[in-house]
Amino acid sequence: MSRGKDEFPHWPLHLFLMLMVGVTIYPILWVFTVAFSGQQNLAFVDLPPDPGVLDRLRAILPWPETVTVSNFVSVFSDQPFARWMLNSIVVAAATTVVGVFLACTAGYAFSRFRFPGQRAGLMSFLVSQMFPGVLTLVPLYIIIVQWLGLGSSYIGLILVYSTTAIPFCVWMLKGYFDTIPKELEESALMDGASTLTIFTRIILPLAKPAVAVTALFSFMTAWNEFILALTFLDNERMYTAPVGLRFFVGGFAEQQWGYFAAGSIVAAVPVVVLFMFLQKYLISGLTAGAVKG
Amino acid sequence: MSQHILASDGPPAPAPTAPSGFRQLLLGLLVGVGVGVVLIGWLGSAGRGATVRGAERQSGIVHLSALVDLVHEAQAAGEEVGPRVAAYVAASDEVKSARVVDLKARQLVADAGADATTEPLPMRLQRQDPNHKAWYDLGQGLRAAVEANTEEGRLWKEEIDVEPAAGDGMVLAAPLTMDGEVGGVVIVEVAVPAPALSSPWPMALAFLGGALVLFALVGWPLRGRRRVLQWLALAVAVAALAGFTVTMLGLLGADRATAEEAVAAQVAHAQQIFSRGAPELPPADAARWDVDRFRQPRGMIQAGHVDAKHLAEALAPVKARFTKVFGALGLLALLLGAFFGLGGAQRLGHTLVRYREAYLFVLPAMLGMLFLVFFPFLYGITLSFTSQTIYNLDEPIYDIWVGIDNYVDILSDFDLVTRSEGESTWNYQNFYWTLGFTIIWTVTNVTIGVSVGLFLALILNTKGLAFRPLYRVLLILPWAVPNYITALIWKGMFHQQFGVINQVIQIFGGSPVAWFDSPLTSFATVLATNGWLSFPFMMVVSLGALQSIPSDLYEAARVDGASRWQQFRLVTLPSLKPALVPAVILSVVWTFNMFNIIYLVSEGQPGGATEILITDAYKIAFEQYRYGYAAAYATVIFVILLIYGTWQNRVTRASEGV
Amino acid sequence: MPLKTPSLKTLKTALLTALCAGLLAPSALFAQTELVIWHAYRGAEKDAFEKVVAEFNTVMKAKKVTAKTLAVPYDAYADKISAAVPRGKGPDVFIYAQDRLGGWVEAGKTVEPIDFFLDDATEKRFIPSTMDALTYQGTLYGLPVNFKVVTMIYNKKLVQKPPTTSGELVATAKKLTDAAAGRFGLAYAYTDFYYHAALMNAFGGGVFDASRQPVMNQSANVKSFELLLKWLDQDKILPAEPSVALITNLFNEGRAGIVFSGPWFLGEIKDSIDYGLAPMPKLDEAGGAPLKPWVTVEGAFIAEPSQHKDEAWEFISFLTGDRGARIMAVEGRQTVANKKIYDDPAVQKDPILQAFRKQVESAVPMPNYAEMTMMWSPATTAMNTVVKGTASPKAALDRAEEEVAERIKNLRK
Repeated sequence: MSRGKDEFPHWPLHLFLMLMVGVTIYPILWVFTVAFSGQQNLAFVDLPPDPGVLDRLRAILPWPETVTVSNFVSVFSDQPFARWMLNSIVVAAATTVVGVFLACTAGYAFSRFRFPGQRAGLMSFLVSQMFPGVLTLVPLYIIIVQWLGLGSSYIGLILVYSTTAIPFCVWMLKGYFDTIPKELEESALMDGASTLTIFTRIILPLAKPAVAVTALFSFMTAWNEFILALTFLDNERMYTAPVGLRFFVGGFAEQQWGYFAAGSIVAAVPVVVLFMFLQKYLISGLTAGAVKG
Repeated sequence: MSQHILASDGPPAPAPTAPSGFRQLLLGLLVGVGVGVVLIGWLGSAGRGATVRGAERQSGIVHLSALVDLVHEAQAAGEEVGPRVAAYVAASDEVKSARVVDLKARQLVADAGADATTEPLPMRLQRQDPNHKAWYDLGQGLRAAVEANTEEGRLWKEEIDVEPAAGDGMVLAAPLTMDGEVGGVVIVEVAVPAPALSSPWPMALAFLGGALVLFALVGWPLRGRRRVLQWLALAVAVAALAGFTVTMLGLLGADRATAEEAVAAQVAHAQQIFSRGAPELPPADAARWDVDRFRQPRGMIQAGHVDAKHLAEALAPVKARFTKVFGALGLLALLLGAFFGLGGAQRLGHTLVRYREAYLFVLPAMLGMLFLVFFPFLYGITLSFTSQTIYNLDEPIYDIWVGIDNYVDILSDFDLVTRSEGESTWNYQNFYWTLGFTIIWTVTNVTIGVSVGLFLALILNTKGLAFRPLYRVLLILPWAVPNYITALIWKGMFHQQFGVINQVIQIFGGSPVAWFDSPLTSFATVLATNGWLSFPFMMVVSLGALQSIPSDLYEAARVDGASRWQQFRLVTLPSLKPALVPAVILSVVWTFNMFNIIYLVSEGQPGGATEILITDAYKIAFEQYRYGYAAAYATVIFVILLIYGTWQNRVTRASEGV
Repeated sequence: MPLKTPSLKTLKTALLTALCAGLLAPSALFAQTELVIWHAYRGAEKDAFEKVVAEFNTVMKAKKVTAKTLAVPYDAYADKISAAVPRGKGPDVFIYAQDRLGGWVEAGKTVEPIDFFLDDATEKRFIPSTMDALTYQGTLYGLPVNFKVVTMIYNKKLVQKPPTTSGELVATAKKLTDAAAGRFGLAYAYTDFYYHAALMNAFGGGVFDASRQPVMNQSANVKSFELLLKWLDQDKILPAEPSVALITNLFNEGRAGIVFSGPWFLGEIKDSIDYGLAPMPKLDEAGGAPLKPWVTVEGAFIAEPSQHKDEAWEFISFLTGDRGARIMAVEGRQTVANKKIYDDPAVQKDPILQAFRKQVESAVPMPNYAEMTMMWSPATTAMNTVVKGTASPKAALDRAEEEVAERIKNLRK
């Protein structure tokens, strides 16, 4: 597709996007500043007496006095942080697989079948998100640890995380499935294809953008959670990265914000990598050709 | 495959109705009355068991009190305690053992009964003996309870401890006052043979059988008349359940009377032993040993016999409670019966089979939700009807049941304005203030998140725009970096003197703002932080949803001469709706309950003005330890969101219809 | 017993018996008691703690007791204990500060009373106020491991002689303060009620009376607020919005001469800053009574559902005993509660530990009542309104008292 006459020039868009990126990454640059400073302080501006405009400009520029990677080195050498990252990846990946699988099947049923209880069922997924989560720690502990005995196992965490992620995923996928024209399935049905075949061969490939979004969402749900992981797990080697991160701050002890910042940056890397991998599905969705073919 | 939308798009065909109303109603009656009598019988038996155990406990308390008196008398007379206690235990069949521990001297002063020590008394408590530690700790616990009651100036904590014994019977303990303060403890093990209770089941069977036979006999001639039969079945079921309820209540009352007589007998027995063991002492007024767990006289026994009026008074609330519970159970059973009797069960079975494929697809996700979402939910709702706090965690739920008191408390707080020193100020602790703030917080946040996210997604969806992948990655970073640290960085940026924001204001010649001093600026800080944190999610969702719009739609619109704005309004927005609406609803729900940002950034400043409902609920649970009240708070939050969700859903559906 | 050469027969029998026993009851023969211990240590403290545990395991080898540790991040540690321990899924021993003690005792099934195990020698081992901190309603529930207390920390380059009275303090601080340039003589998190408690206690105030009733608005507390206002508004020696992170920053940049903070602060000080510690000054306004900060004490608690309470007691008494406490002090740099350690040559020449030891002599244990948690937020609100000047100290404290009293009434229903 070529840029026609009605396309307006791109430079205002770039200008706007750069502004937004600036606002977006500015606080994160401060996280980088803390992480690469080699110090443990949370950042505050540092001004000489009677500051001029230039002094102030220097002060709001997120750049450490000295640049060193010592915080990153310490994060990995003082604590088994690499191991915790790996644990997190295992848990989050499993959550993504389980969550997306369950959400796809349910979302498909809600989109393509008519059955009694459909609306109620769909609503119940929404409703389930409405009860405040902070107060469900004890009942969840009772189920996972006391009844199911899944205390020191990732299965308990994966179960909880995927069910936390499911409602959004189901709604997202259902909405997306709704937009996929039914003619495609009709012809397949005529050819004698089973529901399962239609689902896996026709619907899922077309719904890649929505699956990508739900996958990212499920992953994030598991990736950042820390209270349940801390409460359920009884083995340091099994801790996840967010639990490990919290060792650096909190309590009546020295606050190691430098380590925390470094660890946070490391923890963000897998998310960014995952997003880079998924984003190609966010730009190549349905085209007219796909529907007809 | 009949239910697949492609095959049959119409509403499902109604399930076939059962041919014979009579047989179905008979089944319904069997299920309804059957389940009803089982539930009522089971709960009634539990109640009767509790009555019997209550009598046993009361008898134990009588002996315990008698022994406390005996020890006091002996100490007053300067005599050894051990032999007297031993004599008492020897004389009573019910008292299996008795110990007296001096807490200050850490000595076992008396030890009588089956496994009594052979060492000379008093003996020092032994570290190796786990029993000794248990007794000592029991005594210290009772001392603390008595002191707490003195401090509070009211009866608050129980001063008599009762626990089940290892075998039959129970272990009871009471504090022993020495020199004006609690210095010891008396511990007895008591086993009072329980009277055999008549089984309620033959009676239950009789009511069930009677109901069925009656319905069969009267109903058979009327079997052509559906409506009449239904009313008949209902009447028979109600009569049977009511009859059984009255029978069970009668049994409960009779059991209680017998139990109290047994206590009276133990009082007489205790008096006998007491005066035999200490003939030189003045005859004890035995009735005062009949005390409750706060060591307050019950007054149930007058002149050696159960006081009828007192018994009736004590029975009334128990009966009322059981009537209520039996009534609720009966209603439940009737509903179940009606479900079967009117063919609901059959239809349900039919539906399940007919739509099995759809249900199979939904089942795995539903199962997870059922266990991990709806159980905590029910747990919370149940808790919200109790007055559970950290002080009464051990008490059974029916003892702390307060009905809707918590809700009334929360919702009836209209104290929006406080006056102090002649000035009127907003009461930021008020529920409605917090609710109002929560709503503003939610609406503004979601508006910002959705509009910024959608706008960025639209721009990033521009065909042929350079560096798109780079922009996208940079723009999702706020979502990727753990928000614990970014939230605190934001908080730091708002610092009055050393924050970046005020530096920028000063560069442009403004004067620094104390952001956390007024509700409005404090709100701005949390809004900025949360808006920054939440737009990437909306952007990703919008990006995904935008892919569902076939580009030929735009081409068609362009051919028709639609402007960009018209394209957006007529093509983009409607196509985005299916994905965007749930995202918006869920965003509202999540933002409403967004705990972290408020907690970390504004901390509710100034004076709790920027608290939202969920931070309040958290504080009630984890700072004020009022679990029942916090659960009610959470339920109120839930109901508000539920109302919103239903409303939003209806609005969306209405607009779909247009 | 005289030694005998065992005959072949007896040896055979013995072997056979052992074998049978081994076959029939392997668990009895190889009975290992495993103690699980939870803590929230990290860094040097964690290493020291692991070392104590290793030594304990060596000592107890004969009794086949081994201890195993689990480090839990502090932030949700208390919630983890409250969720796990009463359900029998927790550790045998856990280490935590005294502030949750009352709540755990009232909730039940969490902490084991240990009065019964305590003998005179053990009792005399500790600094008395640390034992008080772990005593709830007359019963001892844990052995004190270490204490944490706020003291005066000063920049030696800016402050040559640490002030000993509030008059000297204000004079020194005024000289160092240049608010416009972001320099302050004194900096501490004064809107945090925990830090303010030092002033309050100096006037003889407090938040609860002897019978556990709230007394937020007693006159001593009002006086302490007034003194803070004087420092803030008249003497102008304090920075605005004093978050803990800000204080650290100011001190590290040489912008704060004197800081009130605890041992956790020392690790955050930059290497380039030469600092000293001294006891907090006496208040001229309170008749020469010294500032008395709250002491928080980390206790080693035995979990009530533990199956190995006797061994658990052995562990906590080893940890807080001379051998354990010495390691925690020398290698973990902890201000241990064991008195004797401060006479140890290695600790004697440690000015930091000695300074805190001196400070704890004029300090008050922070109340361990369950109701303590509901005091913070009304107290913080009162502090903020007074500091912002929107209410007088008396009015703000009256309001806080009203609120705390109401909350306590609702809780103790």
